Amino acid sequence: MTDLTYAQIDQTILNTLERPRPRYWFFVVLVLCGVLLGAGAWTYQIFVGIGVGGQNIPVAWGTYLINFVFWVGIAHSGTLISAILHLFRAGWRNPIARAAETMTVFAVCCAGLFPFIHLGRVWQVYFMLPLPNQRFLWPNFLSPLMFDVVAISTYLTVSSLFWYTGLVPDLAVVRDRSTGLRYKVFRILSLGWSGAHRQWLNYSRGYLFFAALAPPLVISVHSVVSWDFALGVVPGWHTTIFAPYFVAGAIHSGLAMVLTLMIPLRRIFRYEAIITVNVLENVAKTMILTGLIVGLAYGTEYFIAWYSHNAVEWESFRWRAIGEYAYGLYFMIICNVLLPSLFLFKAVRRSIPWLFALSLVVNFGMWWERFVIIVGGVAHDFAPHAWGLYAPRLVEYCVMVGSFSLFFFLFLLFCKHLPSVSMTEMKETAHHAG
Amino acid sequence: MPDETFIMGLFKDEGKAAKVILELAAAGFSFRRAHSPIPSHRILEALKLKKGRVGWFTLAGGIFGFFTGFALAIFTAVQWNMIVSGKPIVSLIPFFIVGFEFTILFSVFGNVIGLLVCSRLPDYRGLETYDPRCSGEHFGVLAACETGRAGELMDFFQKKGGEVKVFA
Repeated sequence: MTDLTYAQIDQTILNTLERPRPRYWFFVVLVLCGVLLGAGAWTYQIFVGIGVGGQNIPVAWGTYLINFVFWVGIAHSGTLISAILHLFRAGWRNPIARAAETMTVFAVCCAGLFPFIHLGRVWQVYFMLPLPNQRFLWPNFLSPLMFDVVAISTYLTVSSLFWYTGLVPDLAVVRDRSTGLRYKVFRILSLGWSGAHRQWLNYSRGYLFFAALAPPLVISVHSVVSWDFALGVVPGWHTTIFAPYFVAGAIHSGLAMVLTLMIPLRRIFRYEAIITVNVLENVAKTMILTGLIVGLAYGTEYFIAWYSHNAVEWESFRWRAIGEYAYGLYFMIICNVLLPSLFLFKAVRRSIPWLFALSLVVNFGMWWERFVIIVGGVAHDFAPHAWGLYAPRLVEYCVMVGSFSLFFFLFLLFCKHLPSVSMTEMKETAHHAG
Repeated sequence: MPDETFIMGLFKDEGKAAKVILELAAAGFSFRRAHSPIPSHRILEALKLKKGRVGWFTLAGGIFGFFTGFALAIFTAVQWNMIVSGKPIVSLIPFFIVGFEFTILFSVFGNVIGLLVCSRLPDYRGLETYDPRCSGEHFGVLAACETGRAGELMDFFQKKGGEVKVFA
């Protein structure tokens, strides 16, 4: 809850849109260099061929797919925090919902690039569209990869519309306090919003329907991503637990990224009175739950492998624990389950340095979880003579740096040009508190 | 009408704005619009408005999307009529995923269209009789009266504790 008046809320948030200092542009240029590095590496790969990466038989899905799943996971919590907590009328969502929704949109954009990058011959991407291609073939909707195309594009569209709809009343606030070109731009973007009673009446209904439609979509999207693996007959992949396991992991990583973004944002923009420690503590409490679910999923995977008496499955999991990539398994257990358990201590979950450090740890651990699943499954499957290892090459590292840079580049532009906290929802919070 | 004047009363208190709306008609003035920085239940209650009809657009979009998704998956499957691994050409379970995603997608399209249609957005002309303070901390009540009674309406708003803005 907040003790701020409407005017103080507006002023605090509008102050963040003032002309940026040179240090801001330094960071923008820095991450832009990262974006250009990634774009250059991708261009090089297009001209030379997909073989410049480390993917090969048997590990045909390397960091491109790891990063794809990682970014889809990050994308999850934004819409989830915003939609589910809106339905439950949880007031603590309001200070972080906007940044979380923005994180979703940008993370889906980053995720959506990887199928293109991994495709190799990117100009053939239209094969995935529901159009007859040059040999009159239509896409096969029995394939989980086509489920993915439908799910991710739906998620990007819905998340973007949800984000923009939430922004409209705030764009009107910025418009009403602007002059010149900025006024003209925000006048168009705000669609002439005036907060008239008819607009609020329909907006409240429409936003409620958005919030009701988003959670099933969120759950379906990461379930569909998990089926990219679970529908493949590969040890370590072919399991019914994957959908809830991936969804819980996605929420876990998304919450961690919310903390990673909100803590610096809070300090830089002096949002302490809006994004209170209580809000961050509630995110940490939710991460205790998601961390435990993820831990349960890790344990259940091993239990299924042992209990099934399936020699191939058991060998896959034995190798996962003691094989060449065993460190990945221990990273994911320590970073995603054990260390977030520190949030059980109130002193830890109310300490900003601890919150920030543990959010980075979980992001790191969740990336490794995807490595263990994606690379580990195919590197050590049925036939011992076909086992093999994978290591990313320079091009893949550059593309990875590019994707992270793109995400932070977009986020940096967003938080200086659009309201990074919803003024309308903060006023509602103040209204209900007062 | 050429002899009509629009006057807005601006209140910092939501309750006062809602009360003014209830008393406007009795005072012989014509209520036009209420503006608020947040969705105000008290104002909507004072106006006795029915629920918005956005939901019908959402429902229509959802039904359209559900059948479109299934139809697309079935259509593409029968274009390449080859049985693989003994699975039926038209496999309803995997096609349900496409149907589900299209249901959500088109529900949201319907929702957005409904929101725009029912709220009459974009509405740039509405800004001609709007005060920017209404997006800050004021609740605005826009009323119309014959030009000769403009003074009366201004007095009415001022007596109720509001600031007044007259639109030419």
